[in-house]
Amino acid sequence: MMMRTVIVVGTLLLGAGAVLAQQDAVKLAQDTMKANGRNMGTVLGPMVKGEKPYDQAAVDAALNQFDDTAKKLPTMFPASVKNAKWEGDFSPSPKIWDDKAGYDAKVASFAKVVSEAKAKVKDLDSLKANFPGIGRECGACHETYRLKKG
Amino acid sequence: MLRRIFLALVVAAAIGGGIFWWLTIPATTVANSLPAYTPDTANGLTTFNAGGCSSCHAVPGQPDRLKLGGGLPIPSPFGTFHSPNISPDPTDGIGRWTEAEFVSAVLEGTAPSGAHYFPAFPYASYGIARVEDVRDLFAYLKTLAPVPGKVRDHDVPFPFNIRRNVGIWKFLFMDGTPFRPDPARSAQWNRGAYLVNGFGHCAECHSPRNFLGGIVTAQRFAGGPNPEGEGWVPNITQKRLGEWSAKDIAFFLETGQTPEGDTAGGSMARVIRNTSQLSSEDRAAMAEYIKSLPPVEGPPRPTRAAKS
Repeated sequence: MMMRTVIVVGTLLLGAGAVLAQQDAVKLAQDTMKANGRNMGTVLGPMVKGEKPYDQAAVDAALNQFDDTAKKLPTMFPASVKNAKWEGDFSPSPKIWDDKAGYDAKVASFAKVVSEAKAKVKDLDSLKANFPGIGRECGACHETYRLKKG
Repeated sequence: MLRRIFLALVVAAAIGGGIFWWLTIPATTVANSLPAYTPDTANGLTTFNAGGCSSCHAVPGQPDRLKLGGGLPIPSPFGTFHSPNISPDPTDGIGRWTEAEFVSAVLEGTAPSGAHYFPAFPYASYGIARVEDVRDLFAYLKTLAPVPGKVRDHDVPFPFNIRRNVGIWKFLFMDGTPFRPDPARSAQWNRGAYLVNGFGHCAECHSPRNFLGGIVTAQRFAGGPNPEGEGWVPNITQKRLGEWSAKDIAFFLETGQTPEGDTAGGSMARVIRNTSQLSSEDRAAMAEYIKSLPPVEGPPRPTRAAKS
């Protein structure tokens, strides 16, 4: 009896642990993407548009955050989140798992563009030259690997 | 008596059929109605990019947007269309077309065979365009590489597969008169209105449609269910874009970046690949026009399915 209780409770805990891990993974993905969006939309975008003065420290912080994202992306969508509940407008497309090679290639391409930008962006002109490429990488991946809810 | 009723019915049917026949005669442009003209291929390229031709006619799954062999499946409530080959290939593309045939196709939605095109080809929008822009486009397309390969037939079930019926659709939903500038507005606004409503064919996806597939005029640009199936196409009137400046809209058309830092998704990602190639003046013009659209409430969006 004792043994059985241990097994049952253990299984429940494991199950609860798995659900918690799943929710953590979802939250990590969403928070990372939201931070990326804030950096594009409220930090780099306004500088490119001429609405905010160029600020090297803010640019560096944004690019470092993209770099961090690029490192997290290969493992950001573990198979466990496939059937998770995604609050908000977007969810990952099953293609992330069905076409792993294609997804990995997109992540590698993003990482390359970000590291190039980190090496090159020193002033407004170089930011203007590199910003569209970063946006294209975001868009290219979202086009295929992100679903918008109807 | 019975014979007389029968006769009356036959006559009524004949008249009805005649009206249907007359209403559905495909319109064409005849060659000798086109004055002599030296086309400008640079403007043809602008027309090509504004029209988003490449979004549907480029061979899918490869990066060259000038490889116009077609083949993209376009799902719709009426069946699945397969975009044709518009490369200058003489057998599979438009290599043997005359200029007048091309003008008829783009402005009137009529094929060289004399049949109606299905309105998945957005000629209801293109129909307001200047004939010179279309002639420039034809000259530009001729400079591209021919791509061999015939595209499969459309997968459209009865009764929508009867092309003659498209004549009724055109009668109901196609204006077909050339763009009329609004003299009260700036030249830039008018250029934007021309591009957005004509070649840009923005309203084709950003408007709700009725059960016959016609745009609901009162809710033009107010968004609606994605005609390709999944999801929702956003309202682009000031109802939803009120917080976007004209500059934000132009920036979005250039980079695909929204003011929130998100990126264009779905079919809009393909649209951006075209609008990013336009001149900044043309993008600014489109933005000024879109910014001027009065707020219109779109159709009610279904509550999000609690899909896990």
